[in-house]
Amino acid sequence: MIVLDNVHKRYKSRRGKAPWVLEGISLTIPSNVNVGLIGANGAGKSTLLRIIGGVDQPTKGRVERRCRVSWPMGFAGGLHDFLTGRQNAKFVARVHGHENDIKERVAYIDDFAELGDAFDKPVQTYSTGMRSRLQFAMSLAFSFDVYISDEVTAAGDAHFRQKSLNAFKELAGRAGLIMVSHGEGTLKQFCQAGIWLNEGRAHWFDRIDDALMAYRESIPK
Amino acid sequence: MRNSLTISFTVWRALLLREAIPRLFEHRAAWLWLVVEPVFHVVFLAFIFYGLRVRSVGGIDMVGWLMVGLIAFFLFSRTAVQAKNAIHMSRALYAYRQVLPIDTVLARGVLEMFLMTVIAVLLFAGAILLEFVALPVDPLLLMAAWLGLWLAGMGYGLMASVGTEISRELGNILQLLMMPLYFVSGVFFPVSVVPQPYRDILLMNPLTHGLEAARLGFVPHYHAIQELDLSYLYIFSLSAIFIGLLLQRRFKRKLRAL
Repeated sequence: MIVLDNVHKRYKSRRGKAPWVLEGISLTIPSNVNVGLIGANGAGKSTLLRIIGGVDQPTKGRVERRCRVSWPMGFAGGLHDFLTGRQNAKFVARVHGHENDIKERVAYIDDFAELGDAFDKPVQTYSTGMRSRLQFAMSLAFSFDVYISDEVTAAGDAHFRQKSLNAFKELAGRAGLIMVSHGEGTLKQFCQAGIWLNEGRAHWFDRIDDALMAYRESIPK
Repeated sequence: MRNSLTISFTVWRALLLREAIPRLFEHRAAWLWLVVEPVFHVVFLAFIFYGLRVRSVGGIDMVGWLMVGLIAFFLFSRTAVQAKNAIHMSRALYAYRQVLPIDTVLARGVLEMFLMTVIAVLLFAGAILLEFVALPVDPLLLMAAWLGLWLAGMGYGLMASVGTEISRELGNILQLLMMPLYFVSGVFFPVSVVPQPYRDILLMNPLTHGLEAARLGFVPHYHAIQELDLSYLYIFSLSAIFIGLLLQRRFKRKLRAL
């Protein structure tokens, strides 16, 4: 269960304080439900996702995670350019307390990312596709109660996309999921519930279809 | 669920191992430059002193005197600078909730202590073979000075890393501070020959006490400053660390926010 209590967020800008992105969001997200975040561009979907994942901090309010929550899957930061794929994988394994079975975890990442020799080359030599493969493999290597995903399934080439889609389906079956996607089909495929973000506030819907309908009705004709 | 202390320890270990690799290998022979920089300072200053026909300072060999002071100062300044930049340089790591800004400061500081100790042992082993210095006669005093200077660097780093994040201008000013410190800490002139009232002003700098104590640890008959007080360095450093920790706690949220 993840409890958001009166979460506010605004970013600093060069000209003083920017307007609120999130304005008083209070939600309780159960950990056994897959939730889709819906909203227009700039509605604060990614911001809310990052706050839930603990990457970013709310300006006001509080987030309480009563279960194990992943970092945003495929998050672009977090890789050190100079370190190799293996060294980065080891770091993440250590941070998550897998010192004892570090070999198995790293072997899993190596196997899933299919980087071959490049796994032992610095990340700065990777292509964008190779990076996202490594990042996706790293997020799958550790077990969480709730996974957080921001448009992640679109990474890599056709072969890898198929593979990651299968892995994602398997994940959605066994753990909770909070995801952002602009594809209605993807949302309907993976999510049961939905959160619609509008004007800094969140509206919870038990059924994703209702959330999508509310979103569609808000779009000016 | 793991408890907080276990998480902190695993994060420190992971950070330490992670930071060590780029520090030593990021640029071509980066590890060599870590050794070359203090050696260059020693050689350059020794050359000037030689030209000035200074062969000994305060009753000990000039080269040995320079070496102890410089390497001790480098321990402080490297720890301080590395720790100061830690929060900024590790921004990408806060994607992993377990990693707190203060963890990166501590990890970098500890790494610097470890590296500088190895470098110091290597350089002094060389200097002892070349007979610029003898084996330290009072190793306990030397270690106390070494630890005190490191703590001073940590105190500076814990405070400055927050300052840098709050205001970039403040960070620049704090960076500028390093050079005057090099000049007034008695790295290349003995503070004991400075006339009053200027000497009292120089003695307010805690680093001076650390450097003089380190020299005294090597050679007990060294003419150190009369007013030498290592506890002054410790009180100063521990106070700075305390204030630094308070700042880290006060701005915990802000430091992690993007």
